[in-house]
Amino acid sequence: MRSFTSAATLEEAIAALGAGARPVAGGTDLVVGSRQGKAPLPDAIVAIDRIGALRALDGSDGEALRLGALVTHEAIVASEIVRSRFTALADASAIVGSHATRANGTIGGNVMNASPAMDTGGPLLCFEATATLRSHEGERTVPLDELWTGPGSTVATPGELLVAIGLSASVPGTGSAYVRLEYRRHMEIAVVGATAVVTIDQGSVVDARIAITALAPTIRRVAEAERALVGTDAGADAIAGAAGAAAAGSAPITDVRASVDYRTAMAEVVARRAIEAALARAGGADVAIPASDALYGDPGALR
Amino acid sequence: MAVETVPPEHAAEGAGAFVRSDGKEKVTGSGRYTADLTLTGQAYAKFRYAGHPHARIVRIDVSKARALPGVVAVVTQDDLPDVRFGGLVQDRTLFAKDVVRFEGEIVAGVAALSEAAATEAARLIDVEYEPLPAVSDFVAAMDTGAPRIHPDLASYEKDENVVADGNTMAYSTIVKGDADAGMAEADVVVKGRYVSDASQGVPIEPRAVVAQWRGDEVTIWSSTQVPYAARAGVAQTLQVPEANVRIVVPLLGGGFGAKCDLHFEAQVAALARDAKRPVKLVFSRREEFVAIAQRREGIVMEFETGVTRDGRLVARQATLILDKGAYCGEGGFLGQMAAMHACGPYVIENIRVEASLNYTNNQPSGSVRAPTAPQVCWGLEQHMDEVARAIDMDPVELRRRTLIEQGAEGPTRQVFDEIGMKQTLERAVEMIGYGRDLPDDEAIGVAVGWWPSAAAPSGAYIHINGDGSGTIVTGAQENGSGAVMAMPMFVAEELGMDPGDFTILYQDTAAANWDMGSSGSQTTFNSGRAVLGAAADVREQLLDAAAEELEADREDLELVDGGVRVKGSPDRSVTIGALAEAGTIHGKGSGDVPDAPAGDTGGCVGRFGNETFLAPQLITQAAHVKVDRATGVVRVLKVVAAHDSGRILNRSGADGQVTGGVVMGVGLALSEGTQLDDEGRQRNPALLDYKLVTCADAPEIEVDWIQIPAKDAGPRGSKGVGEPPQVPTAAAVANAIAEVIGSQVQHLPMTPERVWSAARERGSEEVEA
Repeated sequence: MRSFTSAATLEEAIAALGAGARPVAGGTDLVVGSRQGKAPLPDAIVAIDRIGALRALDGSDGEALRLGALVTHEAIVASEIVRSRFTALADASAIVGSHATRANGTIGGNVMNASPAMDTGGPLLCFEATATLRSHEGERTVPLDELWTGPGSTVATPGELLVAIGLSASVPGTGSAYVRLEYRRHMEIAVVGATAVVTIDQGSVVDARIAITALAPTIRRVAEAERALVGTDAGADAIAGAAGAAAAGSAPITDVRASVDYRTAMAEVVARRAIEAALARAGGADVAIPASDALYGDPGALR
Repeated sequence: MAVETVPPEHAAEGAGAFVRSDGKEKVTGSGRYTADLTLTGQAYAKFRYAGHPHARIVRIDVSKARALPGVVAVVTQDDLPDVRFGGLVQDRTLFAKDVVRFEGEIVAGVAALSEAAATEAARLIDVEYEPLPAVSDFVAAMDTGAPRIHPDLASYEKDENVVADGNTMAYSTIVKGDADAGMAEADVVVKGRYVSDASQGVPIEPRAVVAQWRGDEVTIWSSTQVPYAARAGVAQTLQVPEANVRIVVPLLGGGFGAKCDLHFEAQVAALARDAKRPVKLVFSRREEFVAIAQRREGIVMEFETGVTRDGRLVARQATLILDKGAYCGEGGFLGQMAAMHACGPYVIENIRVEASLNYTNNQPSGSVRAPTAPQVCWGLEQHMDEVARAIDMDPVELRRRTLIEQGAEGPTRQVFDEIGMKQTLERAVEMIGYGRDLPDDEAIGVAVGWWPSAAAPSGAYIHINGDGSGTIVTGAQENGSGAVMAMPMFVAEELGMDPGDFTILYQDTAAANWDMGSSGSQTTFNSGRAVLGAAADVREQLLDAAAEELEADREDLELVDGGVRVKGSPDRSVTIGALAEAGTIHGKGSGDVPDAPAGDTGGCVGRFGNETFLAPQLITQAAHVKVDRATGVVRVLKVVAAHDSGRILNRSGADGQVTGGVVMGVGLALSEGTQLDDEGRQRNPALLDYKLVTCADAPEIEVDWIQIPAKDAGPRGSKGVGEPPQVPTAAAVANAIAEVIGSQVQHLPMTPERVWSAARERGSEEVEA
């Protein structure tokens, strides 16, 4: 017997999860996946999309950012706070799926789907994001790099609902970018992606966070690439060194989307472009969102 | 089904801009497609597929499936007449018999009261296979000792012109003069080899079929482009008269050729007969990729051209090897069509082209929009740019000197009437601004192509009702192009009525005459001719009736504003409704089917009707692209298209065909390719990894028409329109890419990785030099 209920409050949703239901918000992974035969729809589903409290996007200057689980990709892209201080997350959210995916799909669903190709994953890791999970037993906060345990799996228990994503406050002088190799403009999945978050102080890189997407079994930060940039003047050699280290830190495979050789070469190209865009933004330059567009000759792009 | 006129400010240039009667329901979502049909008591069909690319069936045990609660029918080939079907070669049974030859071959069908039970029952069918060696490489399929896909090919029923040998299902040649002597005479000989992957039509609507029997008669609702071919196929394979089979097509959600031929109507009808209930089949997207016998074929092509320094094409040799896949279907002619495109719309003095259409254990190939032309044109037009480079001539100038024109002789010595080939070239280079300065990562590529108009019989009726409205009954099939939707416009013009006065009864084989269906760009060309013939018949009847009513001479009458009146005396008139009140005004028409043009095909082998091109449609397209050399990502910024399709009868419809064809061509150029494993299983049968281009990828598209009324062709001097837009787009994009990166991408689709590889190889050559 299948059941579908719609929770009006967080408490109702938590109770339904406790009774064995699975949550659905935008449905862009759950429903599509079931139609494709990836996984059948769960027997019991609780819709959480009516819970207004989970739609909040809270943050102000100099403070951490809190994204309710139901904040859509579209809302993230529209947020001035995200665009100005967590720009890489706006870059990523702007290129998830199609207009329809972004209007329906939520950051919470995206995070809990735990795809190693998810576009928002790299920016969230670089912004040291945490996930707040709530069940009838209480609430806990888990860093995302601990939340994700592999493709499609997390440490969350069946009774836990992701209620919010927290991002640490961004430091003045920080610029960030997420860049994805794109074969087409919409409905694309990351074949190679890279995130860079850099902080500049008096002409020198004081902090760098670099992550690679779809280049390893999980999205990962590459410490060697970050080290190659910190303490430098962000010149061409430093950028090339960091991009090379990012590529060296990848473990790509050959599949229907690309060969190892191409992925490895593209890891360096895409990482370099992400670092350049992040540095440009840190320096106050106006690089259009999404930064990926800037790479392919679109209006307002870098050349 | 009212036809609304478009306010003038929104109307396209010229006559014929109107809101098509199926437009609103499609756009608003109220339209009903085959999958939307639900009949009382219906059961759900599922197929059991082979999975193996090549295997002998040792045993099929359906007992567990039959025993499953809710299962109402299980059918295998053992339950059906032992009949093979196919176009030029009859090589396939409805369900596999003894041997499976591609992964998507249907081994058995089930029907059950729920979709879940049907899925489970299909799984429960126990099939024991003895795997046979699979042949996926369609070049290696010709090797001596290659496993035979159809060892009994010699004994199959086939067309008398089929030349078959080993795994080669059909061998075709085009021979003109002496190619060897021509090569010897050339100043320069240029060779090139190009490889195209297979690709897919990918209509948005996956196939659906619903069948319901009443006594010995069956009605089948099907998402087909060719209802009459489907009817013939059902009649042949189930051994029932065509009169007992009625095919009805609800709204069709696209086809692009992929919904041509018999496809699953007979299997579903067999299940419905067994179940004694209506049965409904709806394909998943995966089935739409894997199980259909209708995809664009892979081709390996080798060209050799002898040219003089002043740009005379003295000889062309070409060898084409095409992947037929496991079965013939309607695609037996593909080799011959490819051979014509290996010549192209050029004046070439001596020609020898050979084409081998080879069986493999891959998905069967069939007509997808301009079958074989876009791939061969993509290879040939890159080769022609190489030829131009070899004699240090601008590629547009070489084409200017070598394209066909009035009085010129084609590859089979067809002599052309007045045609606009060269005008399309001049117009396209003017529209794109050929020769202007561009950034170093951008370039313009130019390509030409051609496509025949297809002559076929057709028939239509027009009934005029007592209130002055009318019904057009046509066998034509509307695949989305709007060709059928434009018919009220043509009829209204003939009868002095308003397009909104007419409704159309179409897509029902019980209502109208045989029609070829939506294939071969033929709907306006043939079905339009029939409808105009019926309109002329009605016109005669109206004039006769009005002459009597008005006591006037027929010659003095005119049809205007929904009535007939005496010229110069508007008060002496009668409405069409009044004339039709007695219910006697009904016209019929077919028109005369144009003859194939004469040619000399004496040395040619494997002739299936494409040896000369009736009313050839001539095309030049130019593409402006930008290449990101570091990643190989290509953006097509603009495509211009100048076409000679004779007189254009419906400008907005014709422009729409070009826009759609160009976007489809960009997909073929850059991203659409079916990838196979070593045994022929598809590796990307889903829309995530079989990449169509999206609206956001669509370039700016500019269209113009060189309107030269075609003699002895379609109605009012028209030719076909629908397939040519797809022909040279990939070629134009390829020539532009080569211009940017300095080397050609010799594998289609030209994915970022392939462009990157070609650019890198070029880079390393430069370093070595």
